Amino acid sequence: MGKIRRLVLDVLKPHEPSIIEVAGELSELPGVEAVNISIYEMDRRVENAKITVEGNDLHYDDILKVIGENGGTVHSIDEVVAGRMIIEDAETPQDPLG
Amino acid sequence: MIHLRSKLKRLKEYQEVADVGEIARRYFAMNSFDGVLTILGVLMGNYLAHVREPTVVIITGLATSVSMAISGLWGAYLTESAERQRSLDDLEEYTLADLSNTRIGRAARVAVVIVAMVDGLAPLLASFLVLLPFFLTYLWGNILYSYYSALAIALSSLFALGAFLGKIAKQNVFLAGLKMIAAGILALILSFLIEHTVHP
Repeated sequence: MGKIRRLVLDVLKPHEPSIIEVAGELSELPGVEAVNISIYEMDRRVENAKITVEGNDLHYDDILKVIGENGGTVHSIDEVVAGRMIIEDAETPQDPLG
Repeated sequence: MIHLRSKLKRLKEYQEVADVGEIARRYFAMNSFDGVLTILGVLMGNYLAHVREPTVVIITGLATSVSMAISGLWGAYLTESAERQRSLDDLEEYTLADLSNTRIGRAARVAVVIVAMVDGLAPLLASFLVLLPFFLTYLWGNILYSYYSALAIALSSLFALGAFLGKIAKQNVFLAGLKMIAAGILALILSFLIEHTVHP
């Protein structure tokens, strides 16, 4: 099986531990080269985060474990890139303009 | 060494997640105050009942302190674990996930133990401190000196405790200390009044 290079996850997590800690822990996983976490929605006790992880060999189970350990749950896997290189999704005439 | 460092790091993480510091500080202040005032009551009782035997004062004082420690430990453990469990359940309703085996769940359990220990040990240490002169009565030979120095220690502890709280609240430290001493003096006056009512 080819190697996973990028994962974009939609995660619901409590405010604490903060995304700084989660990002730090994810970046320490083997095969991970960069992590980006952004919050796009805040609630009283939880927040929705978009977690982007890139690397040369990502292990989804390990990533899931770190997120779970910090109280988060993955709502959806929004993007996966696998193979020898990272490619963006191809543009098609059906894509909305602008 | 590395093991100890990782333990400390874990504790720091728990502190950040469960916010142990603030609640432990509150319990420490509240229960040390309880401890000093209760032991002050025991001392006044012994003094006014003309107890002049150091071992009697030490035994009644220690028995009271131990009961206070158990009460603090038990009470804080039960109330704190109920509160933390409720908060965790509340959070689980949002995340729709079992959080008991996550860092958040573990932090909550560690917080309960730390808070219970603080709650139990604070009155015990405070009352030991006040009882200290009675252990040394043989040095000066007169128990009345032990009573006076215990009273001085109790009032100074109250002042220190008030000053500590004043420092936290960023208020006038001296004034905050005096407010605490006022509680001690009130307890003393009431003890004297009780004695006068019983033996007019």
